[in-house]
Amino acid sequence: MPALTLTLNGRAVATDLAPTTLLIDLIRERQHLTGTHSGCDTAQCGACTVLVDGRPVKSCSVLALQVQGREVTTVEGLPAAAGLPDEAMHPLQEAFMACHGLQCGFCTPGMLMAAAGLLRHNPAPSEAEIVHALEGNLCRCTGYVNIVAAVRQAAAAMAGGAGADAGAGAGAGAGAVAGADRATAAPGTPAPWIPSARAQGATA
Amino acid sequence: MNAPKDPGLDTLRFGSGHTVRRIEDPTLVSGRGRYTDDLAREGLAHLVLVRSPHAHARLLAVDTEAARAMPGVLAVYTGADLVAAGVKPLPAPPAAFRRPDGSPVVSAPRRGLAHEVVRFVGEAVAAVVAETRAQAVDAAEAILVDYEELPAVTSLEAAYAADAPRVFDAAPDNVVAEARVGDAAACDAAFAAAAHVVALDLVNQRLAPSPIEPRVTMAESEPGTGRLLVTMSNQMPTGIRDTLAALLPGMEKSQIRVQVGDVGGGFGMKTGLHPEDLVVAWAARALQRPVRWRAQRLEEFMAAVHGRDWRTRAELALDAQGRVLAMRHRTLANAGACPTPTGCAIPIVLGPYVAPSVYDIPLVDLHITVLATNTAPVAAYRGAGRPEAVYIVERLMDEAARATGLDPAELRRRNLVRADQMPYTSATKQVYDCGEFEKMQAQALALADWDGYAARAAASAAKGRLRGRSVTTFLEWTGGNALTEKVQVQVRADGIIELTSATMPMGQGIATSYAQLAVDTFGVPIDRIRIVQGDTDRATGFGSAGSRSLFTGGGAVRVASERTVDHARDLAAQALEAGVDDIEYEAGAFRVVGTDLQIGLFELAGRQPQQHITVAAEATAGAASWPNACHVCEVEIAPDTGEVQVAAYTSVNDIGRVVSPQIVQGQLEGGAVQGIGQALSEQVVYDASGQLLTASFMDYAMPRADGFLDFRTVFDTSVPCTTNVLGAKGVGELGTIGATPAVMNAVVDALLAAGVPRTTALALQMPATAERVWQALRQRRK
Repeated sequence: MPALTLTLNGRAVATDLAPTTLLIDLIRERQHLTGTHSGCDTAQCGACTVLVDGRPVKSCSVLALQVQGREVTTVEGLPAAAGLPDEAMHPLQEAFMACHGLQCGFCTPGMLMAAAGLLRHNPAPSEAEIVHALEGNLCRCTGYVNIVAAVRQAAAAMAGGAGADAGAGAGAGAGAVAGADRATAAPGTPAPWIPSARAQGATA
Repeated sequence: MNAPKDPGLDTLRFGSGHTVRRIEDPTLVSGRGRYTDDLAREGLAHLVLVRSPHAHARLLAVDTEAARAMPGVLAVYTGADLVAAGVKPLPAPPAAFRRPDGSPVVSAPRRGLAHEVVRFVGEAVAAVVAETRAQAVDAAEAILVDYEELPAVTSLEAAYAADAPRVFDAAPDNVVAEARVGDAAACDAAFAAAAHVVALDLVNQRLAPSPIEPRVTMAESEPGTGRLLVTMSNQMPTGIRDTLAALLPGMEKSQIRVQVGDVGGGFGMKTGLHPEDLVVAWAARALQRPVRWRAQRLEEFMAAVHGRDWRTRAELALDAQGRVLAMRHRTLANAGACPTPTGCAIPIVLGPYVAPSVYDIPLVDLHITVLATNTAPVAAYRGAGRPEAVYIVERLMDEAARATGLDPAELRRRNLVRADQMPYTSATKQVYDCGEFEKMQAQALALADWDGYAARAAASAAKGRLRGRSVTTFLEWTGGNALTEKVQVQVRADGIIELTSATMPMGQGIATSYAQLAVDTFGVPIDRIRIVQGDTDRATGFGSAGSRSLFTGGGAVRVASERTVDHARDLAAQALEAGVDDIEYEAGAFRVVGTDLQIGLFELAGRQPQQHITVAAEATAGAASWPNACHVCEVEIAPDTGEVQVAAYTSVNDIGRVVSPQIVQGQLEGGAVQGIGQALSEQVVYDASGQLLTASFMDYAMPRADGFLDFRTVFDTSVPCTTNVLGAKGVGELGTIGATPAVMNAVVDALLAAGVPRTTALALQMPATAERVWQALRQRRK
């Protein structure tokens, strides 16, 4: 069985696994991080969204081996990735609670990670940019109103200083300006190694 | 003393009527929720189903031999195995439903696994249990099923045709049940004498409820007791327990425990037992291993129950002043291949409850025929009967406004049941306890600037866009005809007050609302309150459906909390050696009036032999609550593409007393987006041969974040419900029910204003997709 090494929520992970193992199965079943949810198995609902090198990726449609050597952040690692203690809440998590941005909570981890990916590359998104970044994530409960409001509030809070770097990652480089980063992932030029990234917020 | 000291204002801030952070949220936002698929079990085996690719076929042979020999396979089951073992089919509709000739309702057996015949694409035929999911999937692919295809029928028209293929033999005409509600002869006379008669053909299309968490069911032998422990994502665990006890051979209710953790959305779809749940339970029992099945999204589209699917010829008779004289419906409702109890009750019972809605309609004649087709069963989806009926009457009202030349708001106003008519008995024998419909409408029209519409239409036109508007006044019936709830309160020495209820959380924040109600009575900080739900060993009852939880369960929280304080007061009197009448309770402590002698509630609990004070109490609401609202919607249409966008949405909602304002707003607005989804984009489509064409989120178009986000939502709490202790009215389904007609009437208004011929505009059915609207616009007079 092939060997895989990666950084998962800041922790080095080395494991052997079947080449058919999906990233979500590595996360949920082998690493027992059950905050990442499977809602559709087909990269359409976004409940499984995690950050790979700081960019949102639908983990249900990525082989675990595709993240060889990469840095993966799940919802459990969101505060730490922003330099906060584990028991703290990331500004996005705080904002989702304050704005009633969740009801059943099942889509929420994916929403948070898609939003974290957006804010990492675009710290002051417009409403249209927030909406675009979340279009790959389905929520059946909230009607999105309060989710978009929560992302806006988190962006404002982070601009104020707290936890400014959501989802640390080596790939895109911290502090990359929004325009430059978007250009690297413009629609039609998906990151070559992750097909499902095309539908994600990283293309905002 | 461990009682909280002087909580004062801080505590009051968490009582009812205030927005608080939901107690559910810290867990859920940090990924520590406990959904059924998150639970680990030693020795967990995985169940995978083989499903029929045919809409209707005889099962000639199911060859499982190769599959049984595959690595990791623990068992393979077929329908024949379950029948031989004495596993019964799921509950059929009750005999109270009747066919046209008066004979009892008929249904095809809805089995855990199909036996002899499959009747819809996706019906489960065999189950494989293996050590890993991948092994189970591989083995399932090795099962060979020999089918003999039979003619299939999927649409209502085709099923009702004289020479239609039979879905099952018990219904030679495919009629499952039929009902006629109202006074047909009097209605006919009213129509004959009417100044205006309007008629519309309306489709309430089939929808997939689609909670984002797919169904997950796990069954095992409970350690220690050997009972069957079923853990699943469900809204009604007690019903699941009782149904399993009835279907599994040799099982009693007492031998089954159902637990439910976090539920990732329900929307009515997760109310009843599904066939897969029965198979999982059976397999765990047979194998004496924990077994879990998690639905793939494809399976949810194919085999979870669907909602709606009515076609209605609807007619309204009015006098010269625009007063409604009578309403007629001729409805065909699709129950799918194996009609369920709710599949009959929704069109025959629940729809008629609200058919006249907020209008003083003296006569109705509602003729409903429930048909079987080779499609997935239809059951509850958010609103369940009320969205269908309210859609019909609201579409008729707009058509009546056009026929009479009255403003649609004015036509409605003339027909609203007046406040001085309350309590009001409707033409379908429902009693509305209260409601000030005209007041809601007046507020909504003012807030939405109804009179200033022309300027907004002109502004849209200047941008090259078409604008339309609607006003929707409506009500709904809530409570599910299950009005009693029981709550147990336990005050513990460790400073926690635990409340146990059989109602279920599924995203609607009911635990937070209960905690706020408990804070009202106990006056302790909200972090002292724990809500226990989702365990049939702890509480049994109806569960959560029909927008009932707060006004029934919350009523029980209130009553049980007050009785707990009363009981504790007796205990405090003993502890303080004072007369009980001299004891006052405030903010977590009992005091002897006029002294500084006191004892904390939690300290008092610690002095009891069991270290707690426990009181259980029941509360029964006197009747359903009748929440109502006025929605004003404006849409814009891009003429080049036909794309419809909601441009403005205002609602004034009469929902009685509000416990958690932010939660209520979330229910109303999130609900409205589901209603908008029905109006504009969602539809389950089968082709004529019974193949499901919408089997993923790529084809079944639910609203995404790029939809409307700017709702103006107002509560009017001045008309509390008179039949429950809280004065609350159910809000879980209200937004959904109003939004669908609100958007469709606005779309039709825009089309007519743009010069689309009447017949074309009125023929437009939901969902009003860009393609359909564009096609309609092509018929414009040049």
